[in-house]
Amino acid sequence: MNAMALIRLFLFPGLLFAIPAGWFFVWGEHKAVARMQRRIGPPLLQPFYDFVKLLGKRTPSRHGIEADLLRLYPVLSVLSLIAALALLPVFPTGGFSGDGILFVALLEMPSICFILAGFTSGSIYGQIGSIREAVLSVASNLVFLLAIVTIAVTESTFRMTDFAGPSLNPGHWIGVLGILLCIPAKLRLNPFSTSNAEQEIYSGPLTEYAGAALGMWELAHGLEWVALTGFVATLILPVGGPWWLHAVLFVAVSFLQVLLLSGISAATARFTLQRSIQFYWRWAVVLAVLAMSSAIYMRFRL
Amino acid sequence: MSFRIPIGPYHPALEEPYKLELVCDGETVRDATMNVGFNFRGIEYLAERRNYLQGITLVERVCGICSNVHSLSFCQAVEQLTGAEPPERALYIRVILAELERLHSHFLWSGIAAKLIGFKTIFMACFTLREKVMDALSAISGNRVNYGMNRIGGVNRDITDPKAVLAILDEMERGISSTIIPIFLEDKTVASRCKGVGILTQEQAKAMGAVGPLARASGVPQDIRKAAPYAAYDRFDFKVPVETTCDVRARLVVHALEMIESCSILRQALSTLPEGPFHTTPPTAARFKVPAGTAVSRVEAPRGEVFYQITSNGTDIPERVRVRTPTFMNMATVRFTVLGQELADSPLIQASCDPCYSCTDR
Repeated sequence: MNAMALIRLFLFPGLLFAIPAGWFFVWGEHKAVARMQRRIGPPLLQPFYDFVKLLGKRTPSRHGIEADLLRLYPVLSVLSLIAALALLPVFPTGGFSGDGILFVALLEMPSICFILAGFTSGSIYGQIGSIREAVLSVASNLVFLLAIVTIAVTESTFRMTDFAGPSLNPGHWIGVLGILLCIPAKLRLNPFSTSNAEQEIYSGPLTEYAGAALGMWELAHGLEWVALTGFVATLILPVGGPWWLHAVLFVAVSFLQVLLLSGISAATARFTLQRSIQFYWRWAVVLAVLAMSSAIYMRFRL
Repeated sequence: MSFRIPIGPYHPALEEPYKLELVCDGETVRDATMNVGFNFRGIEYLAERRNYLQGITLVERVCGICSNVHSLSFCQAVEQLTGAEPPERALYIRVILAELERLHSHFLWSGIAAKLIGFKTIFMACFTLREKVMDALSAISGNRVNYGMNRIGGVNRDITDPKAVLAILDEMERGISSTIIPIFLEDKTVASRCKGVGILTQEQAKAMGAVGPLARASGVPQDIRKAAPYAAYDRFDFKVPVETTCDVRARLVVHALEMIESCSILRQALSTLPEGPFHTTPPTAARFKVPAGTAVSRVEAPRGEVFYQITSNGTDIPERVRVRTPTFMNMATVRFTVLGQELADSPLIQASCDPCYSCTDR
């Protein structure tokens, strides 16, 4: 592993950057929603305080393989997200052929762990939440994958470094729009917050979680924010220029998305599962047609 | 895959302790049972062991939201037995209190309905407006919840500054027309959650004796304020909103339109408040004996008809106090409105009958 890969994994945009950025983005989400609702909202360090508080909580003990699995899922989510962040082409150098596929797979890990956590917990609310997450995941991932395939086809590569930056090809921007559409479902935000609809099923798959394990889930949620908004930022930010400016713009564009998505979340009611699926499958058809026509066009052009 | 899902007695969707148990095939509700009685307080039993003046204070604690309605019904029934006639100004003040209470209750319900469909921003907006009603109630009565306004033969406090209440009313009306009405009537995400959901047909509503906004949203034009006017309601011009689509959206629309009508009644009452005394000679517990007999009183509470029956044996303690609250009538409809619906909609459907289990568990 070369030095650049280590820097990406441990410093930026990996571990050292991503954890505080995750807390910052979660704070941004809570603050933006609070301001829209004419509330004051939490102080800047609240997500950090919450994490530390949860780490120190004593929780009811569980035994056996079930307890180990319930502890393993959030840790696995955090690790896979940090690995995904290390692949983000913030500075478009390095990477390897097909790293885009690995990135998508790593991004999917938290959702899979979330579903498994609900089923493992044995709670009826967890199980219903897991079913909802699984169904919504299938629906939204169809759009998400098609959006990435559309970008990959327009750039003729699955290497993330080659994705980076804006493009003149309209397929690239349709892909970015598709990814943006999927982020609320992946982050379980309104109007797609069916899997953790507290008025129906408490916290869904996380109903039985408490203490340090819940803290890790909260951290994973923050990292999901950074990874998903960061991915969009790398797709639209121009390549080149000083590294520090690129880093600042990366954070700024990511944070703008946090504000935008929080605004949408605060301004909408929650869709039912059926309606969410309908929404994504409609977009899936549009994107499938665009992706296919883009691919055929590229093939003839070459 | 079949699930048996308990909602309650303690659940984030519920304001009060009751239990709705749903049998679901996947996301579809196949059967439902409802249990109440988790917070029984024996208020009727206590009322039959206290004198009439203590009874007013006691029945005001039946409900934390429509407390005024209960003391008003109680006082009206006792006034029938004693022949006491409240002065005209007192009747107007009773209407003002009742309509402010209706607004307070409707704002609360609208907020809860918004929260149940995950629309917390509207929940906050409704509760901000509700605070203004609480301010008005506090300015009039000195209290935010149990107002202590009704007495046998009038009210306890006068409204000395109607213009101040009118100013609060202006703010509320602006909030209703700029926030509540557009969101509940036009927002697409709200419509997608409420349209065609939780149908209670007119026949079902009549068969189960549904009352209040729930019945009016099912096309039953029933309102005690029009059908059997009490206090000073026959002096005011107002409409009774009725919808015929019978779904949750119809209930939202009826509640929203009733808020506008309440504002209209309040404006008329505050601007034409008659001069004069606001109560007759105050009775004291020692010499306040009620002639033997039975009287009933009906009042249109925010959730529907409240019924009081008081039987006196000629002493200062009632022999029987019987209360029937609107939720007692409306809760039976929940079982039929959730059948075949999505699990995600069931908290909203059960809340759409505006249940108050503290009244029912009195």
